Amino acid sequence: MVGIGFRREFAEELIAGELIRPDFIEFAPENWMHIGGHWKKLLHQAVEKYPVLCHGLSLSIGSPEPLDQEFLRHVKSFLDEYQIQLYSEHISYSKCDNAHMYDLLPVPFRMDAVRHISSRIQQVQDFMERPLVMEIVSYYTPVAAEMSEVDFICEIVRQSGCQLLLDVNNVYVNAFNHQYDAKEFISQLPLDKVGYIHMAGHEKVLPDLIIDTHGEAIIDPVYDLFEWTIQRLKPVPVLLERDLNIPQLPALQGELNRLKSICNKHWSISHALVGGNI
Amino acid sequence: MHLSAETYNIQQAFSRYCLTGKNRRITGVQPDRLSWYREMVFNILTEALEAAFPIAYANLPQRKWDSMTQDFCSHHACKSYQLWKMPLEFYTYAVEHSWDEKYDIPYLNDLLSFEWAELELYNMEDLPTPAFVPQGNWLHDVILLNPEYRLLAFKYPVQKETTRRKLLQQVGAWFVLLYRIPVTGQVQFVELSPWLAFVAEQLYAGITLSDILEYAPQLNITVTDTLASDTITFLREMQTRQLVLGFQP
Ligand SMILES: [Fe+2]
Repeated sequence: MVGIGFRREFAEELIAGELIRPDFIEFAPENWMHIGGHWKKLLHQAVEKYPVLCHGLSLSIGSPEPLDQEFLRHVKSFLDEYQIQLYSEHISYSKCDNAHMYDLLPVPFRMDAVRHISSRIQQVQDFMERPLVMEIVSYYTPVAAEMSEVDFICEIVRQSGCQLLLDVNNVYVNAFNHQYDAKEFISQLPLDKVGYIHMAGHEKVLPDLIIDTHGEAIIDPVYDLFEWTIQRLKPVPVLLERDLNIPQLPALQGELNRLKSICNKHWSISHALVGGNI
Repeated sequence: MHLSAETYNIQQAFSRYCLTGKNRRITGVQPDRLSWYREMVFNILTEALEAAFPIAYANLPQRKWDSMTQDFCSHHACKSYQLWKMPLEFYTYAVEHSWDEKYDIPYLNDLLSFEWAELELYNMEDLPTPAFVPQGNWLHDVILLNPEYRLLAFKYPVQKETTRRKLLQQVGAWFVLLYRIPVTGQVQFVELSPWLAFVAEQLYAGITLSDILEYAPQLNITVTDTLASDTITFLREMQTRQLVLGFQP
């Protein structure tokens, strides 16, 4: 199953399903909750046509302050209303001192943060009555780290029991920006816990810095890393993220096709039906 | 809480820096990479504000706009977990901090209120439409109006002017009714006289037009022979424009 992020820029074309036809769509509940009018009608049409996974933005699992219970209630009823089959979020924080920043900030790789985040993941999973799939985010600077990134991630998965969203592009970006080996990093993850994969393009803004823009096509080395990675995983849904600089839709369909052919090469169809989450 | 005070403080310092652009001295970061975060957070906030208030952004002096967004991002804790609702907090912040006086933009509150109402109406959750029949007695039947609306009162005609000079010349009492067209979801607005604004408000409260007309003298409205028929002509026109739905069955 290869899907694409549902965006207003090409919502109507997705619903028509002619120029672009993914196996599923993904969107952020925060962008579609409490909405009516034109966009609600389109959302309904999209949900009727495609299976939907949700990828949240404002949970802020790494925030120091308590979880926002009202927010959780609204997300839960949204997920229930649209029968969302998978809810993922980010290992990061986007809120501090109750101020939303609407962006993903890096959490210090520290054991106290591991415990804090793990217990919050459990609270969310209990409340939502569904597993959380947590994404390894791209980051541009470590913050007061006392442990390695991979140990930090592994420990959160172990303590919380969450699943992992493996964004292969994020790992590529992080490996480049922080000068480590992407394959070695992936090898050390609990790969049996990977429940979802993201793929995207990025932009190199300095000789030693890549920014995870989701504004370009996926580059070949990221496809290569993806192909290497999925041979080590059970079949899971794969999503193409494209948020900016949207190209002609056949070009996006071409990226979906390429991802799908790599999946088909390594994950047989019958295998995918058994192992996939949707 | 499992988080140590030290980790908490570091996270707090990092996020404060992103919002204010000040105090870059944060433990254990790569200083050259830090500014990317400030840029990204600030851009997300300012781009959402520019998109929500396109008229204000295009017409207010750039340095005033920049100062407002900087002030807002630095000092206001955004409460909305949905980015599209954040501009309401900007508008509220502007009113609470008397930015109209501080920046010498007397029409600022009217303009932000108008632009926010348009965005809010466009996005807001659907409201149930009451059952109605298309024909009835304009004077004596209850007239039903589109429930997705905002009736705003302005001192300055921000709905039709954008230049400072023209806005300041036309200080007065302006009324604008914005509403969402059910089928297309597009937001329309209609400028109302004080009398028609009063009529709309009363119709929304379920009062019949004949009862509303009785109040006209108390509002210092000159009751001409044609007041009733002019009002009905207006309401008929509004029925074709989907503000008036029809009549209570
Ligand atoms: Fe991602």
